[in-house]
Amino acid sequence: MTDQKPENAASNGQPAKSPKKRARKSQSKRGEKANGAAGPAASRFYGTPMPGVTVEELSGSLIVIEGTDGSGRSTQISLLTEWLESEGFAVQTMGLRRSFLVGEDIDALLAENAVTRMTLALMYGTDFFDQLERRILPALRSGLVVLADRYIFTLIARSAVRGIGRDYLHGLYEMALRPDLTFWLDVKPEVAFDREFKKAHSISYWESGRDLSLSNDLFQSFIRYQSMVRKEFEYLSKRHEFLEIDGERSVAEVNGSLRKRIAQHLGIRGTHYRPSNALAHLWR
Amino acid sequence: MGSRGVLSARMATVIQPVIENAPSPEKNARKYPGALVVVEGIDGSGKSTQLYLLKRWLEIHGYRIHFTEWNSSPLVKSATRRGKQRKLLTPTTFSLLHAADFADRCERQILPLLHGGYLVLADRYIYTAFARDAARGCSPHWLRNLYSFAPIPDVTFYFRAPLDVAVNRIVAGRPKLKYYEAGMDLGISLDRAESFRIFQERILNNYDQMIESDKFVLMDGTIPVNRLQKLMRQIVRERVDMAQFAPKKK
Repeated sequence: MTDQKPENAASNGQPAKSPKKRARKSQSKRGEKANGAAGPAASRFYGTPMPGVTVEELSGSLIVIEGTDGSGRSTQISLLTEWLESEGFAVQTMGLRRSFLVGEDIDALLAENAVTRMTLALMYGTDFFDQLERRILPALRSGLVVLADRYIFTLIARSAVRGIGRDYLHGLYEMALRPDLTFWLDVKPEVAFDREFKKAHSISYWESGRDLSLSNDLFQSFIRYQSMVRKEFEYLSKRHEFLEIDGERSVAEVNGSLRKRIAQHLGIRGTHYRPSNALAHLWR
Repeated sequence: MGSRGVLSARMATVIQPVIENAPSPEKNARKYPGALVVVEGIDGSGKSTQLYLLKRWLEIHGYRIHFTEWNSSPLVKSATRRGKQRKLLTPTTFSLLHAADFADRCERQILPLLHGGYLVLADRYIYTAFARDAARGCSPHWLRNLYSFAPIPDVTFYFRAPLDVAVNRIVAGRPKLKYYEAGMDLGISLDRAESFRIFQERILNNYDQMIESDKFVLMDGTIPVNRLQKLMRQIVRERVDMAQFAPKKK
Protein backbone atom coordinates (compact mmCIF):
# COMPACT_ATOMS: atom_id res chain seq x y z
CA MET A 1 0.00 0.00 0.00
CA THR A 2 1.40 3.30 -0.96
CA ASP A 3 0.28 6.86 -0.85
CA GLN A 4 -1.56 7.05 -4.07
CA LYS A 5 -3.66 10.02 -3.27
CA PRO A 6 -1.58 12.89 -2.17
CA GLU A 7 -4.60 14.72 -0.84
CA ASN A 8 -5.09 11.95 1.64
CA ALA A 9 -1.61 11.80 2.79
CA ALA A 10 -0.17 13.75 5.59
CA SER A 11 3.07 13.71 3.78
CA ASN A 12 2.11 16.15 1.10
CA GLY A 13 4.73 18.55 2.04
CA GLN A 14 2.81 21.16 3.94
CA PRO A 15 4.99 22.76 6.48
CA ALA A 16 2.06 21.60 8.52
CA LYS A 17 2.22 23.51 11.71
CA SER A 18 3.52 26.78 12.77
CA PRO A 19 3.20 26.21 16.44
CA LYS A 20 4.57 29.37 17.82
CA LYS A 21 2.35 31.52 15.76
CA ARG A 22 -0.73 29.76 16.89
CA ALA A 23 0.35 29.59 20.47
CA ARG A 24 0.52 33.31 20.67
CA LYS A 25 -2.73 33.61 18.93
CA SER A 26 -4.51 31.50 21.48
CA GLN A 27 -3.54 33.88 24.19
CA SER A 28 -4.73 37.01 22.52
CA LYS A 29 -7.16 36.04 19.90
CA ARG A 30 -8.08 39.41 18.67
CA GLY A 31 -6.13 41.60 16.33
CA GLU A 32 -3.81 38.93 15.10
CA LYS A 33 -5.70 37.79 12.11
CA ALA A 34 -3.00 38.72 9.69
CA ASN A 35 -0.48 36.82 11.63
CA GLY A 36 -2.80 34.07 12.65
CA ALA A 37 -4.06 32.85 9.31
CA ALA A 38 -1.47 30.19 9.61
CA GLY A 39 -1.62 28.93 6.10
CA PRO A 40 -3.87 27.28 3.60
CA ALA A 41 -6.89 25.42 4.87
CA ALA A 42 -5.31 22.19 3.84
CA SER A 43 -2.60 22.45 6.42
CA ARG A 44 -5.00 21.87 9.28
CA PHE A 45 -6.81 19.01 7.58
CA TYR A 46 -5.39 15.96 5.88
CA GLY A 47 -7.61 16.34 2.88
CA THR A 48 -10.95 17.95 2.26
CA PRO A 49 -11.79 20.12 5.25
CA MET A 50 -15.01 19.40 7.09
CA PRO A 51 -17.85 21.16 5.35
CA GLY A 52 -18.57 24.49 6.98
CA VAL A 53 -15.33 24.87 8.89
CA THR A 54 -13.33 28.03 8.62
CA VAL A 55 -9.80 27.19 9.51
CA GLU A 56 -8.91 30.67 10.68
CA GLU A 57 -11.41 30.51 13.49
CA LEU A 58 -9.81 27.44 15.04
CA SER A 59 -7.62 29.24 17.53
CA GLY A 60 -7.14 26.41 20.01
CA SER A 61 -4.61 23.59 19.93
CA LEU A 62 -5.14 19.90 19.34
CA ILE A 63 -2.72 17.67 21.21
CA VAL A 64 -2.94 13.94 20.71
CA ILE A 65 -1.57 11.25 22.99
CA GLU A 66 -1.37 7.91 21.23
CA GLY A 67 -0.13 4.57 22.44
CA THR A 68 -1.36 1.04 22.89
CA ASP A 69 -3.26 -0.28 25.85
CA GLY A 70 -1.16 0.05 28.95
CA SER A 71 1.06 2.79 27.61
CA GLY A 72 -0.03 5.23 30.31
CA ARG A 73 -2.08 7.60 28.19
CA SER A 74 -4.96 8.25 30.55
CA THR A 75 -2.65 8.87 33.50
CA GLN A 76 -0.70 11.40 31.51
CA ILE A 77 -3.84 13.11 30.30
CA SER A 78 -5.13 13.54 33.86
CA LEU A 79 -1.83 15.09 34.87
CA LEU A 80 -1.54 17.29 31.79
CA THR A 81 -5.07 18.55 32.29
CA GLU A 82 -4.29 19.63 35.83
CA TRP A 83 -1.03 21.26 34.76
CA LEU A 84 -2.60 23.14 31.86
CA GLU A 85 -5.47 24.33 34.00
CA SER A 86 -3.06 25.56 36.60
CA GLU A 87 -1.34 27.47 33.81
CA GLY A 88 -4.66 29.03 32.88
CA PHE A 89 -5.52 27.00 29.80
CA ALA A 90 -8.99 25.56 29.42
CA VAL A 91 -8.88 21.91 28.41
CA GLN A 92 -11.30 19.70 26.52
CA THR A 93 -10.70 15.99 26.21
CA MET A 94 -11.79 13.39 23.70
CA GLY A 95 -11.31 9.68 23.41
CA LEU A 96 -12.65 6.59 21.75
CA ARG A 97 -16.29 5.67 22.19
CA ARG A 98 -17.13 8.89 23.96
CA SER A 99 -19.56 10.32 21.44
CA PHE A 100 -23.12 10.82 22.48
CA LEU A 101 -24.25 9.54 19.11
CA VAL A 102 -22.77 6.04 19.08
CA GLY A 103 -20.39 5.64 22.02
CA GLU A 104 -22.67 3.24 23.85
CA ASP A 105 -23.64 1.44 20.69
CA ILE A 106 -20.02 0.54 20.08
CA ASP A 107 -19.72 -0.73 23.64
CA ALA A 108 -22.69 -2.96 22.94
CA LEU A 109 -21.25 -4.19 19.65
CA LEU A 110 -17.96 -5.01 21.34
CA ALA A 111 -19.70 -6.85 24.13
CA GLU A 112 -21.47 -9.09 21.65
CA ASN A 113 -18.36 -9.92 19.64
CA ALA A 114 -20.68 -10.24 16.69
CA VAL A 115 -19.47 -7.32 14.73
CA THR A 116 -17.33 -7.56 11.64
CA ARG A 117 -14.24 -5.49 10.99
CA MET A 118 -15.65 -3.06 8.44
CA THR A 119 -18.77 -2.32 10.45
CA LEU A 120 -16.69 -1.73 13.54
CA ALA A 121 -14.29 0.51 11.64
CA LEU A 122 -17.15 2.63 10.37
CA MET A 123 -18.87 2.81 13.75
CA TYR A 124 -15.60 4.07 15.22
CA GLY A 125 -15.46 6.51 12.33
CA THR A 126 -18.92 7.76 13.20
CA ASP A 127 -17.91 8.07 16.84
CA PHE A 128 -14.82 10.02 15.84
CA PHE A 129 -16.52 12.50 13.53
CA ASP A 130 -19.39 13.06 15.95
CA GLN A 131 -16.86 14.09 18.59
CA LEU A 132 -14.89 16.12 16.09
CA GLU A 133 -17.90 18.10 14.95
CA ARG A 134 -19.70 18.48 18.24
CA ARG A 135 -16.88 18.71 20.72
CA ILE A 136 -13.48 19.31 19.21
CA LEU A 137 -14.21 21.94 16.61
CA PRO A 138 -16.34 24.04 18.99
CA ALA A 139 -13.60 23.79 21.60
CA LEU A 140 -10.93 24.84 19.15
CA ARG A 141 -13.07 27.74 18.01
CA SER A 142 -13.21 28.85 21.63
CA GLY A 143 -9.45 28.68 21.93
CA LEU A 144 -9.29 25.63 24.19
CA VAL A 145 -6.54 23.06 24.36
CA VAL A 146 -7.95 19.72 23.26
CA LEU A 147 -6.21 16.67 24.70
CA ALA A 148 -7.09 13.60 22.71
CA ASP A 149 -6.74 10.23 24.42
CA ARG A 150 -6.03 8.41 21.13
CA TYR A 151 -7.00 9.70 17.73
CA ILE A 152 -7.42 8.44 14.19
CA PHE A 153 -4.07 6.67 14.39
CA THR A 154 -5.25 4.01 16.79
CA LEU A 155 -8.33 3.51 14.65
CA ILE A 156 -6.23 3.20 11.51
CA ALA A 157 -3.74 0.84 13.14
CA ARG A 158 -6.38 -1.48 14.56
CA SER A 159 -8.23 -1.74 11.29
CA ALA A 160 -5.04 -2.10 9.29
CA VAL A 161 -3.94 -5.14 11.28
CA ARG A 162 -7.34 -6.59 10.45
CA GLY A 163 -6.61 -6.29 6.76
CA ILE A 164 -8.40 -3.09 5.83
CA GLY A 165 -6.27 -1.09 3.39
CA ARG A 166 -4.27 1.81 4.75
CA ASP A 167 -5.28 3.98 1.82
CA TYR A 168 -8.90 3.24 2.52
CA LEU A 169 -8.45 4.20 6.15
CA HIS A 170 -6.56 7.38 5.43
CA GLY A 171 -9.29 8.28 2.96
CA LEU A 172 -11.93 7.65 5.59
CA TYR A 173 -10.26 10.13 7.92
CA GLU A 174 -9.20 12.69 5.34
CA MET A 175 -11.54 15.26 6.89
CA ALA A 176 -9.95 14.82 10.28
CA LEU A 177 -8.10 17.72 11.76
CA ARG A 178 -4.33 17.45 11.72
CA PRO A 179 -3.09 17.61 15.32
CA ASP A 180 -0.68 20.31 16.41
CA LEU A 181 1.30 17.71 18.32
CA THR A 182 1.02 13.94 18.28
CA PHE A 183 2.83 12.06 21.01
CA TRP A 184 3.34 8.34 20.82
CA LEU A 185 3.92 6.71 24.18
CA ASP A 186 5.72 3.62 23.08
CA VAL A 187 5.94 0.59 25.35
CA LYS A 188 6.88 -2.97 24.60
CA PRO A 189 3.92 -5.36 24.52
CA GLU A 190 5.33 -7.28 27.49
CA VAL A 191 5.36 -4.13 29.60
CA ALA A 192 1.87 -3.23 28.42
CA PHE A 193 0.73 -6.70 29.42
CA ASP A 194 2.06 -6.31 32.97
CA ARG A 195 0.41 -2.93 33.35
CA GLU A 196 -2.93 -3.99 31.92
CA PHE A 197 -3.00 -7.10 34.04
CA LYS A 198 -2.25 -5.14 37.16
CA LYS A 199 -5.09 -2.80 36.34
CA ALA A 200 -7.87 -5.20 35.45
CA HIS A 201 -6.61 -8.59 36.72
CA SER A 202 -7.53 -10.06 33.38
CA ILE A 203 -6.96 -9.40 29.71
CA SER A 204 -9.86 -8.43 27.54
CA TYR A 205 -11.05 -10.05 24.34
CA TRP A 206 -10.32 -7.03 22.15
CA GLU A 207 -7.07 -5.96 23.77
CA SER A 208 -5.67 -9.35 23.00
CA GLY A 209 -7.06 -9.31 19.45
CA ARG A 210 -8.90 -12.55 19.96
CA ASP A 211 -11.10 -11.89 16.96
CA LEU A 212 -7.96 -12.51 14.88
CA SER A 213 -7.52 -16.03 16.26
CA LEU A 214 -3.82 -15.54 16.81
CA SER A 215 -3.43 -17.96 19.66
CA ASN A 216 -5.52 -19.69 22.27
CA ASP A 217 -2.95 -18.70 24.84
CA LEU A 218 -4.15 -15.28 25.92
CA PHE A 219 -0.71 -14.02 26.77
CA GLN A 220 0.63 -15.03 23.36
CA SER A 221 -2.40 -13.58 21.68
CA PHE A 222 -1.99 -10.28 23.51
CA ILE A 223 1.71 -10.03 22.67
CA ARG A 224 1.24 -10.89 19.04
CA TYR A 225 -1.67 -8.55 18.58
CA GLN A 226 -0.02 -5.63 20.34
CA SER A 227 3.14 -6.23 18.34
CA MET A 228 1.17 -6.00 15.12
CA VAL A 229 -0.45 -2.77 16.25
CA ARG A 230 2.92 -1.41 17.30
CA LYS A 231 4.29 -2.14 13.86
CA GLU A 232 1.48 -0.13 12.31
CA PHE A 233 2.35 2.68 14.68
CA GLU A 234 5.93 2.62 13.49
CA TYR A 235 4.67 3.14 9.97
CA LEU A 236 2.21 5.84 11.06
CA SER A 237 4.87 7.54 13.12
CA LYS A 238 6.94 8.20 10.04
CA ARG A 239 4.04 9.19 7.90
CA HIS A 240 2.57 11.60 10.44
CA GLU A 241 5.64 12.80 12.28
CA PHE A 242 4.86 11.51 15.73
CA LEU A 243 6.85 12.69 18.70
CA GLU A 244 8.00 9.40 20.15
CA ILE A 245 8.26 9.10 23.88
CA ASP A 246 9.61 6.13 25.76
CA GLY A 247 6.54 5.17 27.75
CA GLU A 248 8.43 2.71 29.91
CA ARG A 249 10.02 5.43 31.97
CA SER A 250 8.40 6.65 35.18
CA VAL A 251 5.19 8.62 35.09
CA ALA A 252 7.04 11.72 36.28
CA GLU A 253 9.70 11.42 33.59
CA VAL A 254 7.23 10.87 30.79
CA ASN A 255 5.16 13.76 32.07
CA GLY A 256 8.23 15.96 32.11
CA SER A 257 8.94 15.23 28.44
CA LEU A 258 5.35 15.93 27.48
CA ARG A 259 5.22 19.20 29.41
CA LYS A 260 8.42 20.41 27.88
CA ARG A 261 7.19 19.99 24.33
CA ILE A 262 3.69 21.26 25.05
CA ALA A 263 5.03 24.30 26.90
CA GLN A 264 7.10 25.13 23.87
CA HIS A 265 4.07 24.85 21.64
CA LEU A 266 1.77 26.92 23.83
CA GLY A 267 4.36 29.45 24.85
CA ILE A 268 4.36 28.53 28.54
CA ARG A 269 7.60 29.65 30.16
CA GLY A 270 8.20 27.38 33.08
CA THR A 271 7.35 23.71 33.10
CA HIS A 272 7.48 23.16 36.81
CA TYR A 273 4.64 20.99 38.04
CA ARG A 274 3.77 18.88 41.02
CA PRO A 275 0.48 17.03 41.07
CA SER A 276 -2.10 18.08 43.63
CA ASN A 277 -3.06 15.69 46.38
CA ALA A 278 -5.93 14.48 44.28
CA LEU A 279 -3.55 13.18 41.64
CA ALA A 280 -0.53 12.43 43.80
CA HIS A 281 -1.20 8.70 43.61
CA LEU A 282 -0.45 8.79 39.88
CA TRP A 283 3.00 10.22 40.41
CA ARG A 284 5.35 7.31 40.68
CA MET B 1 -46.34 1.52 -5.53
CA GLY B 2 -46.24 -2.04 -4.49
CA SER B 3 -47.78 -3.50 -1.42
CA ARG B 4 -44.67 -2.66 0.52
CA GLY B 5 -45.35 0.95 0.09
CA VAL B 6 -42.83 3.32 -0.83
CA LEU B 7 -40.22 2.03 1.31
CA SER B 8 -38.76 3.84 3.80
CA ALA B 9 -37.56 6.64 2.31
CA ARG B 10 -34.28 7.73 1.90
CA MET B 11 -33.54 9.94 -0.74
CA ALA B 12 -31.19 9.75 -3.32
CA THR B 13 -28.94 12.22 -4.52
CA VAL B 14 -26.03 13.51 -6.01
CA ILE B 15 -22.87 12.82 -7.49
CA GLN B 16 -20.36 13.27 -9.93
CA PRO B 17 -18.43 11.74 -12.55
CA VAL B 18 -16.81 8.85 -11.08
CA ILE B 19 -13.41 9.07 -9.76
CA GLU B 20 -11.75 5.77 -10.17
CA ASN B 21 -10.65 4.89 -6.77
CA ALA B 22 -7.76 3.02 -5.37
CA PRO B 23 -8.28 -0.58 -6.20
CA SER B 24 -10.05 -2.41 -3.49
CA PRO B 25 -9.44 -6.10 -3.36
CA GLU B 26 -13.02 -7.21 -2.92
CA LYS B 27 -14.37 -5.08 -5.65
CA ASN B 28 -12.39 -5.36 -8.75
CA ALA B 29 -11.60 -8.97 -8.91
CA ARG B 30 -14.88 -10.84 -8.95
CA LYS B 31 -14.10 -14.00 -7.14
CA TYR B 32 -17.54 -15.29 -6.44
CA PRO B 33 -20.07 -17.38 -8.32
CA GLY B 34 -23.10 -15.29 -7.32
CA ALA B 35 -24.58 -12.28 -9.04
CA LEU B 36 -25.82 -8.93 -7.81
CA VAL B 37 -28.72 -7.00 -9.28
CA VAL B 38 -29.62 -3.64 -7.78
CA VAL B 39 -32.26 -0.99 -8.31
CA GLU B 40 -31.67 2.70 -7.80
CA GLY B 41 -33.67 5.86 -8.25
CA ILE B 42 -35.36 8.56 -6.23
CA ASP B 43 -38.39 7.87 -4.08
CA GLY B 44 -41.46 7.40 -6.20
CA SER B 45 -39.57 6.27 -9.27
CA GLY B 46 -41.17 2.84 -9.15
CA LYS B 47 -38.00 0.90 -8.42
CA SER B 48 -39.23 -1.00 -5.38
CA THR B 49 -42.37 -2.16 -7.13
CA GLN B 50 -40.31 -3.42 -10.03
CA LEU B 51 -37.77 -5.18 -7.85
CA TYR B 52 -40.60 -6.78 -5.91
CA LEU B 53 -42.08 -8.15 -9.13
CA LEU B 54 -38.70 -9.39 -10.26
CA LYS B 55 -38.24 -11.13 -6.95
CA ARG B 56 -41.69 -12.75 -7.17
CA TRP B 57 -40.92 -14.03 -10.63
CA LEU B 58 -37.66 -15.59 -9.48
CA GLU B 59 -39.15 -16.99 -6.29
CA ILE B 60 -42.07 -18.55 -8.10
CA HIS B 61 -39.67 -20.33 -10.39
CA GLY B 62 -37.51 -21.53 -7.57
CA TYR B 63 -34.31 -19.59 -8.22
CA ARG B 64 -31.65 -19.25 -5.55
CA ILE B 65 -32.13 -15.63 -4.61
CA HIS B 66 -31.90 -13.31 -1.68
CA PHE B 67 -33.47 -9.89 -1.33
CA THR B 68 -31.83 -7.14 0.68
CA GLU B 69 -32.81 -3.59 1.52
CA TRP B 70 -30.89 -0.46 2.25
CA ASN B 71 -30.76 0.59 5.86
CA SER B 72 -31.91 -2.56 7.49
CA SER B 73 -29.15 -3.95 9.62
CA PRO B 74 -30.38 -4.49 13.18
CA LEU B 75 -26.90 -3.92 14.51
CA VAL B 76 -26.81 -0.26 13.69
CA LYS B 77 -30.49 0.47 13.91
CA SER B 78 -30.63 1.85 17.41
CA ALA B 79 -27.92 4.39 16.70
CA THR B 80 -29.57 5.48 13.48
CA ARG B 81 -32.91 5.84 15.18
CA ARG B 82 -31.50 7.86 18.05
CA GLY B 83 -29.57 10.10 15.71
CA LYS B 84 -32.60 10.76 13.58
CA GLN B 85 -35.08 11.27 16.40
CA ARG B 86 -32.88 13.72 18.19
CA LYS B 87 -31.62 15.32 15.02
CA LEU B 88 -28.03 14.69 15.99
CA LEU B 89 -26.75 13.81 12.58
CA THR B 90 -24.51 15.96 10.45
CA PRO B 91 -23.95 15.13 6.78
CA THR B 92 -20.77 13.29 7.76
CA THR B 93 -22.17 11.23 10.61
CA PHE B 94 -25.37 10.57 8.68
CA SER B 95 -23.28 9.17 5.88
CA LEU B 96 -21.00 7.15 8.16
CA LEU B 97 -23.84 5.54 10.06
CA HIS B 98 -25.44 4.41 6.85
CA ALA B 99 -22.09 3.14 5.67
CA ALA B 100 -21.68 1.15 8.89
CA ASP B 101 -25.13 -0.27 8.38
CA PHE B 102 -24.30 -1.18 4.81
CA ALA B 103 -20.96 -2.69 5.85
CA ASP B 104 -22.73 -4.96 8.30
CA ARG B 105 -25.11 -6.15 5.62
CA CYS B 106 -22.33 -6.44 3.09
CA GLU B 107 -20.01 -8.48 5.28
CA ARG B 108 -22.58 -10.69 6.91
CA GLN B 109 -25.11 -11.07 4.14
CA ILE B 110 -24.29 -9.88 0.64
CA LEU B 111 -20.71 -11.13 0.34
CA PRO B 112 -21.33 -14.54 1.91
CA LEU B 113 -24.34 -15.01 -0.35
CA LEU B 114 -22.40 -14.03 -3.44
CA HIS B 115 -19.67 -16.44 -2.47
CA GLY B 116 -22.31 -19.05 -1.83
CA GLY B 117 -23.67 -18.72 -5.35
CA TYR B 118 -26.83 -16.69 -4.80
CA LEU B 119 -28.49 -14.15 -7.00
CA VAL B 120 -28.74 -11.16 -4.69
CA LEU B 121 -31.35 -8.48 -5.31
CA ALA B 122 -30.78 -5.15 -3.61
CA ASP B 123 -33.31 -2.37 -3.20
CA ARG B 124 -30.93 0.58 -3.27
CA TYR B 125 -27.21 0.20 -3.10
CA ILE B 126 -24.12 2.36 -2.76
CA TYR B 127 -25.32 4.77 -5.46
CA THR B 128 -28.05 5.87 -3.10
CA ALA B 129 -25.35 7.04 -0.72
CA PHE B 130 -23.37 8.66 -3.52
CA ALA B 131 -26.39 10.58 -4.75
CA ARG B 132 -27.96 11.45 -1.41
CA ASP B 133 -24.94 12.16 0.77
CA ALA B 134 -23.33 14.32 -1.88
CA ALA B 135 -26.61 16.25 -2.06
CA ARG B 136 -26.03 16.87 1.63
CA GLY B 137 -22.57 18.23 0.96
CA CYS B 138 -20.28 15.25 1.51
CA SER B 139 -17.30 15.07 -0.78
CA PRO B 140 -17.99 12.68 -3.67
CA HIS B 141 -14.41 11.55 -3.58
CA TRP B 142 -14.66 10.69 0.10
CA LEU B 143 -17.91 8.80 -0.50
CA ARG B 144 -16.40 6.73 -3.29
CA ASN B 145 -13.59 5.69 -1.00
CA LEU B 146 -15.96 5.02 1.87
CA TYR B 147 -17.88 2.42 -0.11
CA SER B 148 -14.99 1.00 -2.09
CA PHE B 149 -15.29 -2.30 -0.22
CA ALA B 150 -18.66 -3.00 -1.82
CA PRO B 151 -18.89 -5.48 -4.69
CA ILE B 152 -19.86 -3.90 -8.00
CA PRO B 153 -23.31 -4.98 -9.23
CA ASP B 154 -23.76 -7.10 -12.34
CA VAL B 155 -26.73 -4.97 -13.28
CA THR B 156 -27.76 -1.60 -11.86
CA PHE B 157 -31.24 -0.56 -12.90
CA TYR B 158 -31.80 3.16 -12.61
CA PHE B 159 -35.50 4.00 -12.48
CA ARG B 160 -36.13 7.46 -13.63
CA ALA B 161 -39.39 9.34 -13.45
CA PRO B 162 -39.84 13.07 -13.88
CA LEU B 163 -39.40 14.88 -10.61
CA ASP B 164 -43.04 15.96 -10.37
CA VAL B 165 -44.34 12.49 -10.99
CA ALA B 166 -42.06 10.95 -8.37
CA VAL B 167 -42.59 13.64 -5.78
CA ASN B 168 -46.34 13.60 -6.18
CA ARG B 169 -46.42 9.83 -5.72
CA ILE B 170 -44.66 10.23 -2.41
CA VAL B 171 -46.34 13.32 -1.08
CA ALA B 172 -49.79 12.04 -1.94
CA GLY B 173 -49.30 8.80 -0.10
CA ARG B 174 -47.58 10.12 2.95
CA PRO B 175 -49.14 12.40 5.50
CA LYS B 176 -45.91 13.61 6.96
CA LEU B 177 -42.44 13.57 5.50
CA LYS B 178 -39.73 12.81 7.99
CA TYR B 179 -37.10 15.35 8.91
CA TYR B 180 -34.06 13.82 7.22
CA GLU B 181 -36.14 12.31 4.45
CA ALA B 182 -37.23 15.80 3.48
CA GLY B 183 -33.67 17.09 3.75
CA MET B 184 -34.75 19.51 6.48
CA ASP B 185 -31.27 19.32 7.98
CA LEU B 186 -30.01 21.22 4.97
CA GLY B 187 -32.07 24.26 5.77
CA ILE B 188 -33.29 24.59 2.21
CA SER B 189 -36.83 25.51 3.13
CA LEU B 190 -38.99 25.54 6.22
CA ASP B 191 -41.75 23.88 4.28
CA ARG B 192 -41.23 20.14 4.31
CA ALA B 193 -42.86 19.42 1.01
CA GLU B 194 -40.86 22.16 -0.63
CA SER B 195 -37.64 21.03 1.01
CA PHE B 196 -38.33 17.45 -0.03
CA ARG B 197 -38.84 18.49 -3.62
CA ILE B 198 -35.62 20.47 -3.84
CA PHE B 199 -33.68 17.75 -2.11
CA GLN B 200 -35.05 15.10 -4.46
CA GLU B 201 -34.16 17.25 -7.40
CA ARG B 202 -30.54 17.42 -6.30
CA ILE B 203 -30.52 13.69 -5.80
CA LEU B 204 -32.01 13.12 -9.21
CA ASN B 205 -29.32 15.27 -10.80
CA ASN B 206 -26.65 13.34 -9.01
CA TYR B 207 -28.08 10.03 -10.21
CA ASP B 208 -28.18 11.34 -13.74
CA GLN B 209 -24.51 12.08 -13.62
CA MET B 210 -23.70 8.48 -12.75
CA ILE B 211 -25.59 6.92 -15.64
CA GLU B 212 -22.57 6.46 -17.85
CA SER B 213 -19.78 6.25 -15.38
CA ASP B 214 -21.49 3.54 -13.38
CA LYS B 215 -23.14 1.79 -16.31
CA PHE B 216 -26.71 2.24 -15.16
CA VAL B 217 -29.49 0.59 -17.13
CA LEU B 218 -31.94 3.42 -17.54
CA MET B 219 -35.59 2.46 -16.92
CA ASP B 220 -38.43 4.80 -17.70
CA GLY B 221 -40.54 4.87 -14.56
CA THR B 222 -43.55 6.29 -16.39
CA ILE B 223 -44.32 3.34 -18.60
CA PRO B 224 -46.91 0.84 -17.37
CA VAL B 225 -45.78 -1.47 -14.61
CA ASN B 226 -46.26 -4.74 -16.45
CA ARG B 227 -44.46 -3.58 -19.56
CA LEU B 228 -41.57 -2.27 -17.55
CA GLN B 229 -41.37 -5.52 -15.66
CA LYS B 230 -41.25 -7.49 -18.87
CA LEU B 231 -38.33 -5.39 -20.00
CA MET B 232 -36.59 -5.78 -16.68
CA ARG B 233 -36.86 -9.57 -16.77
CA GLN B 234 -35.51 -9.60 -20.30
CA ILE B 235 -32.48 -7.54 -19.31
CA VAL B 236 -31.79 -9.72 -16.31
CA ARG B 237 -31.88 -12.80 -18.52
CA GLU B 238 -29.45 -11.19 -20.91
CA ARG B 239 -27.00 -9.98 -18.33
CA VAL B 240 -27.06 -12.76 -15.80
CA ASP B 241 -26.40 -16.41 -16.37
CA MET B 242 -29.73 -17.52 -14.97
CA ALA B 243 -29.04 -21.23 -15.37
CA GLN B 244 -26.61 -20.92 -12.55
CA PHE B 245 -29.34 -20.00 -10.09
CA ALA B 246 -32.06 -22.21 -11.49
CA PRO B 247 -33.55 -24.98 -9.37
CA LYS B 248 -31.75 -28.27 -9.74
CA LYS B 249 -33.55 -30.66 -12.02
CA LYS B 250 -34.58 -33.81 -10.22
